[in-house]
Amino acid sequence: MASPEADPHALFARYQPLAGSYDEFISNEGTPRAHALTAIRLLTSLGATELGRCQALAEKALISGGVTFNVYSDKRGAEKILPFCMIPRVIGAAEWGRVEIGLVQRLRALEMFLDDVYGKQRILKEGVIPADMVLGAKHFIPKLHGLRPPGGVRIHIAGIDLIRDPEGTFRVLEDNLRTPSGVSYVLENRLITKRVLPQALEQLGVRQVGQYAAQLADSLRSVAPNQPEDANVVLLTPGRYNAAYFEHTFLARMMGIELVEPSDLVVDADTVYMRTTRGPQRVDVIYRRIDDDYLDPEFFRPDSVLGVPGLMRAYAAGKVALANAPGNGVCDDKAVYPFVPAMIKYYLGEEAKLEQVRTFVCAREEDRRYVLERLPQLVVKAVDEAGGNGMLMGPQASGAECAEFRDRINAEPRRYIAQHRVELSTCPTWDPSTLDLVPRRVDLRPFILTRSSPSAPSSWVLPGGLTRVALRPGSYVVNSSQGGGSKDTWVQKAAT
Amino acid sequence: MISRVADNCFWFGRYVERAESTARLLAVTRELVFDADLPPEQCWQPLVIVSGELPTLLERDGAAAVGQGEVVQRYITWNPDNGVSLLNSVRAAREIARTIREVLSIEVWEEVNELYLWISDGASEAAYANHREDFYRKVRRSTQLCLGLVRSTMLHDEPMRFLWLGVMLERVGQTARILDMHHHTLSPATEAGDSQQRLVELNLWLSLLRACSGFDGFMKRHRGRVSREGLVSFLVFESQFPRSLRYCLRSALGILGQLYPPGCGDGVGVESLASLEALCRWLDKNESATRTTSIHDLLTNVVDRSSALCSIIQREMLGPERPSHTEATAQ
Repeated sequence: MASPEADPHALFARYQPLAGSYDEFISNEGTPRAHALTAIRLLTSLGATELGRCQALAEKALISGGVTFNVYSDKRGAEKILPFCMIPRVIGAAEWGRVEIGLVQRLRALEMFLDDVYGKQRILKEGVIPADMVLGAKHFIPKLHGLRPPGGVRIHIAGIDLIRDPEGTFRVLEDNLRTPSGVSYVLENRLITKRVLPQALEQLGVRQVGQYAAQLADSLRSVAPNQPEDANVVLLTPGRYNAAYFEHTFLARMMGIELVEPSDLVVDADTVYMRTTRGPQRVDVIYRRIDDDYLDPEFFRPDSVLGVPGLMRAYAAGKVALANAPGNGVCDDKAVYPFVPAMIKYYLGEEAKLEQVRTFVCAREEDRRYVLERLPQLVVKAVDEAGGNGMLMGPQASGAECAEFRDRINAEPRRYIAQHRVELSTCPTWDPSTLDLVPRRVDLRPFILTRSSPSAPSSWVLPGGLTRVALRPGSYVVNSSQGGGSKDTWVQKAAT
Repeated sequence: MISRVADNCFWFGRYVERAESTARLLAVTRELVFDADLPPEQCWQPLVIVSGELPTLLERDGAAAVGQGEVVQRYITWNPDNGVSLLNSVRAAREIARTIREVLSIEVWEEVNELYLWISDGASEAAYANHREDFYRKVRRSTQLCLGLVRSTMLHDEPMRFLWLGVMLERVGQTARILDMHHHTLSPATEAGDSQQRLVELNLWLSLLRACSGFDGFMKRHRGRVSREGLVSFLVFESQFPRSLRYCLRSALGILGQLYPPGCGDGVGVESLASLEALCRWLDKNESATRTTSIHDLLTNVVDRSSALCSIIQREMLGPERPSHTEATAQ
């Protein structure tokens, strides 16, 4: 009985949460959090050796399965697996219930905001949100004004990034309402957990995620211009060199729909067809994983050879539904984000149920002054970038980097916002070099599907979502392109 | 289904079948070198010729290369510039599989992906260096498993039919070319050599049967009597041997008929069907004539006409031809 694995507390006995951060498993006093107790007991009973074996097994399964993303920066177009840590992140039922309600509320307001911005623009006229902030957003598309999407839904699939502050409060960090990716990892991670830790899922009462594809297919069919039951839904991908190509094939396979490239589609008399072995066949709904700019060269970029010429004509004629709707990018703008609580108040008459991160909009003079005075303490972000690009991490940046951003902000204040760095919560994470658990920072991207219904669009939230983890010690960056990995997210069932 | 996807299915079938056939041929030729009392170039050169790579190999490694088993094996197995090398066939199959993952079953994908990862990895180089037989065996097993999984885990609908059409048409070409390797021993003119000559021919014939996975089947059909006519009749005309020309062409015809039932309306597939039917009839007509016609002419005709058929199928159903796909050149 002398071996460390025989000691039921060995695995977590050495675990030290980071000071000043919320740990998902262990409280500041060093005691297990209530919702994590069972998980801790289970993982400890397995012991370090068994966990090491599970981790190796999980990685092998991901490689064999080709669960990969393409790395743009790598010239050979190398495929990498998203590193997976099989120590899960656990969220209690009550906690999740609050998050879910907050997400649904947020989505309702964002839908109404988009309808408004591409319609009467009441919220701008009444001065609730500065009009120039919205109309000047890079991804606002004036040409779409007055266009109502088929089925009345614009945000069919949303990915809302959440972080947890040192008090454990979930806060929205950003909205992804264009083509959010990552859900395939949620589903694949769960498949792997089922293989390597099947008993844990059962004993903990973890909510299922496997219904996502069926829900997505239903949502997509619900917006078909005619006869939703027989609608031909396709997934439009830029092709196999796209970073998220694995996800495109994965979702097409899970839904049993055709995966098409732009050259497979053709528009005739404002109707979209796909080229098949039996001639042209009509397409009703397109789940497009292509950016707005490359959808239709006739509409967006006459210089582009990519896209489906005439697609936007068919969309405007109401002959085809696009998910997500073009033009949603205005909400992803980080300078529009600070106004979401005001939207919720304006459209729903409610207080926002999810907190945000306090944001300084450099376009506003007093905010800009505040930011420029405190650059080394702040995180500065370009409003129209994602994936950790165009970002200054003040506390870790050199003087030269701060000076460069100072110049950039002065040159283009509209392009930048700043926030205080949030001490992201940590989660115990397997360290293969020491065969031990270490605290690493995590975020969470829940996915929300919205379908058409006779009254108002209705939303469904996938329990959990993608937990991304910064695998490098001390890192705050969870992006897969910068040393991030992922974890399975376990949302516990409510006690019955 | 989407034409581009059908095209990928068709070529996936062809590349997997080609990889299997290449591995089999290399392994069998190695055996032949041990069994037959022949100079090495008489064993290896025909293999290079059927792959269509003789001019390139001669230019690259000189005239002596075809007599050096190691040079030939390395070239046919690994050379990245050789469009029909084993490595390239596996890579092409896997790249297509990655593109049409939503079409393949997860089992098929994992098998071809694992083969690709293994062959791209140092472990396979080590196996090649130290356990050559195991290396070729592993490739054959994996590709055979892959094709078996296609039939046992995928819906038997359009994608699988196009895939299997590719397998059958690739196999027609492979069997015809393999048989053609030693065609000079199969023509009526070469009858009646001395006993030494007979023994050499016997070994070549047995090797041909093994190269087509036809050894057991042939022995069952012909009760152990190995003859020139028996061999030709088995590898070309045996309708129950899954690698004979007749079997493969008739299977392809059956698949085309399922894909495009007569009178299905839009006219697509009509030309392909007509071309394949004509080829099948031509083969039937020549069954009785093999005593007199040159087997080489017959095989050449089959190879040419089946590759013309592939072009028609491409044009009628699969969309624009892709330059990356290589048709092994006929000899």
